[in-house]
Amino acid sequence: MRALLALVWIYAATPVAAQSIIVSDAPESVSLTVYRAQDRGDRPIDPNWPRGYALITETRTISIPAGESVIRFEGVAEGMFPESAIVTGLPQGVREKNRDARLLSPSGLVDAFLKREVTLLRTNRATGVTREQKAIITAGPQGGVILQTAEGYEALRCTGLPERMQFGGVPQNLSAKPTLSVITQSNEATTAKLTLTYMASGFDWQANYVAHAKPGDDKAIGKNKIDLFAWLTLANGGNQSFQNANMMAIAGEPNRERRPEQARPVGGGLSLACWPQQRTHQVPFNPGFIVDIPPPPAPPAPVAMAAYADENIVVTGQRMARAEMAAPVAVMVADQEDLGDLKLYRVPEPVTVNAKGQKQVAMIVKPGAAFDRIYTVRVDEYGRDDGARMPMSILFRGSNRKEKGLGLPMPSGPVMLFENSYYGPLLAGQSSLSDRAVGDDIEMVVGRSSDVRYAVTRMSETVEKQRFKVDITNARSEPVNVEVEIPFELRGKPKHIAKVDGIPTWKATIAANGEATLYYELELEKN
Amino acid sequence: MRAAWLLLAGGALAAPILAQDATSVAVPGGATAQGDVAVTIYQNGQSLIQDTRRLTMPAGRSKQEFPDVSAQIRAETVTLTGPGIGIVEQNFDYDLLTPAKLMEKAVGQNVTLIRTNPATGAEVRVPAKVLAANGGVVLQVGNTIEVLRDDGLPVRVIFDKVPPNLRARPTLSVTLEAKGGVTPTTLTYLTPGLGWNSDYVTLFDDAKQTIDVQGWVTLTNNTGTDYSNANVLLVAGNPNGGGGRRNYTTPWNPSTGTIDQPGTESSNRERLGDYYLYPLAERTTIANAQQKQVSFLDVKAAPARKAYEFNNGWLATNDAASASSVLKFSTSRSGGLGDQLPAGTMRVYMRDKRGDPQFIGESMIEATPMGSAMSIRTGDAFDVKVKTVVEERNRLSSSRWQTKMRYEFTNARNEPVTVDLGQEGLWGDVAIIAQSQEGKRVSADRVEWSVAVPANGKATLTATFDSRY
Repeated sequence: MRALLALVWIYAATPVAAQSIIVSDAPESVSLTVYRAQDRGDRPIDPNWPRGYALITETRTISIPAGESVIRFEGVAEGMFPESAIVTGLPQGVREKNRDARLLSPSGLVDAFLKREVTLLRTNRATGVTREQKAIITAGPQGGVILQTAEGYEALRCTGLPERMQFGGVPQNLSAKPTLSVITQSNEATTAKLTLTYMASGFDWQANYVAHAKPGDDKAIGKNKIDLFAWLTLANGGNQSFQNANMMAIAGEPNRERRPEQARPVGGGLSLACWPQQRTHQVPFNPGFIVDIPPPPAPPAPVAMAAYADENIVVTGQRMARAEMAAPVAVMVADQEDLGDLKLYRVPEPVTVNAKGQKQVAMIVKPGAAFDRIYTVRVDEYGRDDGARMPMSILFRGSNRKEKGLGLPMPSGPVMLFENSYYGPLLAGQSSLSDRAVGDDIEMVVGRSSDVRYAVTRMSETVEKQRFKVDITNARSEPVNVEVEIPFELRGKPKHIAKVDGIPTWKATIAANGEATLYYELELEKN
Repeated sequence: MRAAWLLLAGGALAAPILAQDATSVAVPGGATAQGDVAVTIYQNGQSLIQDTRRLTMPAGRSKQEFPDVSAQIRAETVTLTGPGIGIVEQNFDYDLLTPAKLMEKAVGQNVTLIRTNPATGAEVRVPAKVLAANGGVVLQVGNTIEVLRDDGLPVRVIFDKVPPNLRARPTLSVTLEAKGGVTPTTLTYLTPGLGWNSDYVTLFDDAKQTIDVQGWVTLTNNTGTDYSNANVLLVAGNPNGGGGRRNYTTPWNPSTGTIDQPGTESSNRERLGDYYLYPLAERTTIANAQQKQVSFLDVKAAPARKAYEFNNGWLATNDAASASSVLKFSTSRSGGLGDQLPAGTMRVYMRDKRGDPQFIGESMIEATPMGSAMSIRTGDAFDVKVKTVVEERNRLSSSRWQTKMRYEFTNARNEPVTVDLGQEGLWGDVAIIAQSQEGKRVSADRVEWSVAVPANGKATLTATFDSRY
């Protein structure tokens, strides 16, 4: 990080109104707090333009002369929301903040030099001799440029000759990028350490969980230990890198609002229209507008999880060597703290966040969390009551509590579940978590079992009741726990059925290679 | 800025000089034909520009052009006033000068062609007459008829003049009768493309239960024109006919729901009818494509408190969902921000463990009178959740049902919280026949309970509703 500041120019049109322009071209230190995209759900981060945002806090040291000065900030993230910028540390505060978006560009130059003198250069293709000529821009940049020379009026580049314009300088109100500046006043020349805080789009993060299920305990049915590991995956879709940044991520749902209309950048290429300069047969009778076909979107970059899965596939090649693989060993783990009703994850060491880059830091390392393996189904589909044998869902249920091996805030994110096999750990299921607070239940449906199946059969029906049968078959060589949810009002009080959160639920253990059957009756509404 | 200062210094438009540049080139960007400009910006996309220029006019009838007016000027709203001035007519010409237009208007006229020999570079001047410009340009050169550049060789076309009614920019011109001499004339017009909003920076201190609020007016200029050294006046409100007597809340005119109780206090800010005025303290230049922010409010340590709210729309079983985090404060003179707040966006920050401010959420607020009780929803609480369970549903008759609801509150924070639970969808005819704690029927449709949830604990509320369905 360098603290480079340059006093670019001071102009003193009149003694009373000297205004110095100070350019601060890079921050000395930067903090980056990344917020997740809202409503992204289970979809991965878009690496080309991440839809979350970040709060960026920079410190910059500048020399301020006495009097009024304009401080221009360069090297900020291009997704900056200028209305969110806060500048503190100036001796007499900020009089006004400006974000200027008149861009230094071919059309911007013509616009700025309209009715002013430029130099027109024409190079003779045969001799290579360049002829200079003074010209005044009479019209432009919309629809072409008309120049007035000593000979008369002509249109720029409608002649077929190599022509270009030279401008006397850079108009001071044009800038290479939309630029934030503040106007401040100081009684004396001084050095100030400024803090610039702003929000910017083009960032995102999410938690990516890697869960390793350990073999179950023979004595307790369906009890599993899971090594839970989570990456904090952060993406910067902008063109600005952040060197040695304090990096943080916020979990939770801060409210965001639609932004009001913004000042639109002006400038761009110079589109020169002429009277027809082609040969006659090329002249389109109605030229119309030519719309550039946008380039096809770049193929999505592979997400980090895919790379991770690849590594595991490599592991399978040396299957004998690694029958069991532990979760990744993390040397640096993000610290978690509370921020009001949000959760803040702080990367303990400064890191560099590259432009158009994705970064992963460990955020959760919890080996040996206790989970129950349960086979579940919710029998609420009328079309499936014909006795068809359907696979049941595999559910891992835990609780986010210390005594269960967890007890920490768990931000939402996808979960990859690995189980050990003869060939090393293999991907055994995928799921996703929503934000889980301490004390919340954690349920991950990781797949469906072809070994544990259920069938619903409608046995009889009268105007008052429907009688159903649920058969469960277990083809596994170990007993399994099953839960069947029946989200209807039941007749009577069947003794094997208890209400869980208002939903009648049958909980049972099916013996190894065994079967079980439940009968129940639904109450029908009399009209 | 600079150009404006120059005007103040006596109107001498010296070309500014780059101090670092030895060759001293003239760089544009400053000179403007505008005079003493006053810009009044409303919040409905209209702005009023008043521009007083000192014009030197001949006695009698003359045509005066007014460059540097808004590129989006609503020409029909232009008014020109000044001592001894009578208006004959006003014209707004937007036929722009382009190469194609120049050629079209040159039909029937003589131009000069300069042909360049590609092998030698030698130039030959030929007079020609433009006969037509339909797709290609048909010329008469001597006694021959040909099409311009049909051979693809370089030809310069030199025009003697440009047509008088074609301009580089849309131009306002006024034909008037004057007594002559230097006359101060005031040009007044409306233009779209300027707008303003407010942005509030709110720093919440959870330990002290206070907020520091800074208010900034944020104005944007998309008119295509700079307004130099202008007096700027912002009008908080939307003078746009209103909605008659009925006042709908519509998607394009929404209520932000941030005012709990509208205030009845008045501040000593200037007013225009029912609208508040925010004059900027100093003259400023509003450049095109610029967003400008100027501070108008700075309050330290106003009392504020955090609260939790949860709304349940209908009697249904739902998984645990986060309660909203809400910040409550007042705009009252005593114990509040002590000002009315123009509509805008309030961003709330909180200090992390290292003391650095972090963003915790934002909310739109509508124009809020002084003395109002406000609640700003900043986001969803990670640790405070509500689960709703339909525990029992009993049918008493074909048009009478009893629904027993259980609301489970969980709090993973290490401090007790109170959640304001609102149950909606009661339609006026739903009765509450049992409840584990007394609620408040705030309207026919809605009942509210304040439920205390212990630190790292749970709380349960049950209520039985008697309804027709």
